[in-house]
Amino acid sequence: MIAKPMKKVIRYNRSETRTAWLCLFPSVIGLLCITYLPMLASFALSLFSWNGLGELKFIGLDNYIRLFTIDTKFYASLYNTLQYAGMSVIGSIIYSMAIALLLNRRIPARGFFRAVFYLPYVLPALAVYLGWKWLYDYNHGLFNYIVKLLGGTSIKFLDSSALVTPSLALIAVWLSGNLIVIFLAGLQNVPRTYHEAAEIDGANTWQRFWMITIPCMTPIIFYNLLMSLVSSLQVITPALSLTKGGPGTGSYYMCYMLYTQAFQSHKYGYGSAVAVVLFILIAIFTAILFATSKGWIFYEGDDKE
Amino acid sequence: MKKLLALFLCIAMLIPMAAMAEGDERIHITYSFWGNQTEAESVQAALDIFNSMQDKIFVEPMQIPNEEYTQTLVNYAIADQLPDCGMVNENSVLYFARNGVMADVSKMYEGEELQPMDCITFKDAGTPVGYSSCNEILVLYYNKDMFDAAGEPYPSADKPYTWDEFVEAAKRLTFDESGKHPGEEGFNPEKIVQYGAFVNNWTWQMEVWALSNGGAWFSENGNEVLINSPEAIQSIQKVADLALVEHVSPLNVIPEDNGVGIGIGNGTVAMTTDGTWRLGTDFPNLDINYGIAPLPMMKDQVTLCTSGLTGVFNGKNQEAAYEFVKWYTREESNWESLVLTGIWMPKSEYYYKSEEGINAWLGNEAYPFKDLETGKKVLVDYTMNYAKPACWYYTPNTQVTTNEILFTALQSVWSGERTAEDVITEVYPELCEAIVIE
Amino acid sequence: MTSTVIRKSSGHLASKKRQETLANILSIIALIILGLIVMFPIYWIFRSSLMSNGELYTYPPAFTPPQWRYSNYIETLKVFEYWKFLGNTMTILVPAVFGAVITATMGGYAFARLRFRGKKFLFVLCVGSMLLPSMVTLIPLFIMWAKLGMVNTYWPLILPHFCGGGAFNIFLIRQFVKTVPHELDEAATIDGCGYFRILVYIIVPAIKSAMIVVGLLKFIELWNDLLQQVTYITRRDQYTLALGLNIFKGSFNDDWSSIMCATCLSFIPGIVFYLIGQRYFVEGIVMTGMKN
Repeated sequence: MIAKPMKKVIRYNRSETRTAWLCLFPSVIGLLCITYLPMLASFALSLFSWNGLGELKFIGLDNYIRLFTIDTKFYASLYNTLQYAGMSVIGSIIYSMAIALLLNRRIPARGFFRAVFYLPYVLPALAVYLGWKWLYDYNHGLFNYIVKLLGGTSIKFLDSSALVTPSLALIAVWLSGNLIVIFLAGLQNVPRTYHEAAEIDGANTWQRFWMITIPCMTPIIFYNLLMSLVSSLQVITPALSLTKGGPGTGSYYMCYMLYTQAFQSHKYGYGSAVAVVLFILIAIFTAILFATSKGWIFYEGDDKE
Repeated sequence: MKKLLALFLCIAMLIPMAAMAEGDERIHITYSFWGNQTEAESVQAALDIFNSMQDKIFVEPMQIPNEEYTQTLVNYAIADQLPDCGMVNENSVLYFARNGVMADVSKMYEGEELQPMDCITFKDAGTPVGYSSCNEILVLYYNKDMFDAAGEPYPSADKPYTWDEFVEAAKRLTFDESGKHPGEEGFNPEKIVQYGAFVNNWTWQMEVWALSNGGAWFSENGNEVLINSPEAIQSIQKVADLALVEHVSPLNVIPEDNGVGIGIGNGTVAMTTDGTWRLGTDFPNLDINYGIAPLPMMKDQVTLCTSGLTGVFNGKNQEAAYEFVKWYTREESNWESLVLTGIWMPKSEYYYKSEEGINAWLGNEAYPFKDLETGKKVLVDYTMNYAKPACWYYTPNTQVTTNEILFTALQSVWSGERTAEDVITEVYPELCEAIVIE
Repeated sequence: MTSTVIRKSSGHLASKKRQETLANILSIIALIILGLIVMFPIYWIFRSSLMSNGELYTYPPAFTPPQWRYSNYIETLKVFEYWKFLGNTMTILVPAVFGAVITATMGGYAFARLRFRGKKFLFVLCVGSMLLPSMVTLIPLFIMWAKLGMVNTYWPLILPHFCGGGAFNIFLIRQFVKTVPHELDEAATIDGCGYFRILVYIIVPAIKSAMIVVGLLKFIELWNDLLQQVTYITRRDQYTLALGLNIFKGSFNDDWSSIMCATCLSFIPGIVFYLIGQRYFVEGIVMTGMKN
């Protein structure tokens, strides 16, 4: 191994800075024009009452007051969102890591198996949720047909407010092919020399998994954790295409609330207030994740700052 | 790779350029719509006819998928690029009207022979802002073969079922694996093979049961919510109990706009309530020997009338848009494709008042009546005497009240988790607030 | 001393091999069972595409179509302008995916390796931008594109992806660049490589599989991105596959068996793209296996 060079004295080297800004130029333009300016406009809207076509009316914090004190559906949406996120994140991380480890072995037909587990993610959402609807359906669905064949009583998978979120989270786990692909790419980036070195030192498979694979994978695990957390806190598609927020408020998620309030009920100001709260909520979770990350992520090529 | 990219960029640039309009002196207007492939083709065919039959106006189509339709129109309105006319979702007509998008149509049919019926006129505080393109009412469809097999007489056109008769008939038509009916010893509600009835619980259609039970959802001026009356609440509970208590109906907790598909259409349900457009849109594709009868009544004979509309939007091409919409929604322009197929019932009074008018449409084979008299009783009499406009014709913000608040709240009633009284009492203040115009 | 090591490792090797074979057999069994479960809903969709609308709702549900109606596909293809929609989709996708992969790699590299003033702040901004769904910015962006006269063109669907390809992807690349050992580019620096050349010659080969992943994710994301496409495209001749699926949803009724056929047809390109990408995946192992 090459000895590590001494820490550089000049922190910001000019050519390095120039390259960095050149590399980041497109991203910065994107962040400004595509994300932050429109987002600020939306956030500002939360202080107004606006139906999309009429006059903008400044109402201060009224939207927020209503959200936190009057609207009982808001608390339901908060609870549902956290429940869904919890279930689908834990479920899909464990599932996709396990599948990725299995797929990373030198086994025959590896390419075929990879395609199988990735396939659900490729399907158009419309078809996926429709397919599952037929499986979950109370009257004619396949699952209940099997349940009845086995002598049980029909289960209201999507038709009871208690079961709807777990049922939808299960679909999310099934859909986590993207996480599998990222884990796989990560597993393949674990330098083989480390494994070889450890093997010579007499480490068994289990030890190598815990001492090499997992530490080397931590940046990827972190990424997948963050990505699935953020995207599951933004859950909307299953509610939109399968359950319409119901039954009752069983699948009324925050993003669905945002969407229906703004785009269906034309209460854009109120919808923006939901967006702000959702933003803060996700920001808190992300911040917590980042804060703890220092303790458990191992960056092979870190800045060593 | 670079070459490939350049090629694709060029293609992407050429597409918008090629699509630029050719210059001519006619007034160009745009017509927006949603629909499937067949519908899109018939729209284009109609536009071609219109564009070639006169030389003042040229209409261009603009197609937007159904689910995103209203929001896309709003986006276009915000960006000041609204089309000149187009289909409007019934729920959002008064929303667009209140915000100055819908043109006043009170003079549109001035001096014309065929006048659209009052029942299907959208009114914003009394001002007509749109006419439905046709008339549709809610009726009861029944599967004749299932009635025959059960030895049950067909629902009568003269004397509609009372609710109790309806439930009893439904029980006789429902049976489980072992052939037992609800209420009999050993009947297993988990293993029902055939259901007697499905009352479409798609939210707006539920209003008819409140009216039928002597109540209402909204006051006639559209300013008050009346859904908390005992009659209205009871009517909701009665419909929910069909599945929950009587076991004569399939459970349908999260409704979709496909009553026939869930009900009579899948071949396991004997009776289903839904709109008359299903005659043309669903039944031709179904291999079912069916009949039509009036809705059962809880107390009063009543049905709802409604249909979508093509609206004219305020703008500089308004006059041209009036011309086009008037032509486009005439019965005669759609006679072959929509009236004779049973999808549309005519919108003008003439077709309900004169024998000639009635014969012209009701006499065709899309209507499965054994004689014209029966057909008249079920469709013409009901339209003229018992039909009330659905709530969106006169109540503002139905996209919030029925579409959002009631749609969500009632699901707990359909699933049996809560009672109608409980749920309606809870959302009543919310409904009252939502109906107030900002 | 030397001899014991050799003896130990040769015995170890034999038992290791046996162990590995056993583990592989178990893995395959596990994969087959899980695979069957995972494939089942997909089979269900495929089965549905071969049935009539009436048969879809019969009870008990049929495991195999009562009649294999392959003609459904022929009927569907008559109205579903597959090749045209596919061409339109590709016109958006190819440049967008390309732009996203390039700019995300550049951004991710800068965040992972380069040191400059304002990096932390910029990174927080970058992470912050993925905290909200894109629908929040839909209306302001629509107004912007409308003011630029670009509604009803593909530009609003392509250009944004040339701006970093989304924070998720920048972040993904950053994570992968961080797993690349520092020694590699330090060696290159000693050889006189500039930062940009390190990116091109050291980093890019090392994180190729991650770039493929970004491409795949972007591809699927855009494939399914109905909301944006609906907003900007209203001309039928510009319709994409995602929009095209909606042509079976009529004003009155939905033709589900055709929707299922069109769905099955429309995910074929996604699978093909995946299979092509996967090849680079396997190569990725060899490339990153360090030989120092």
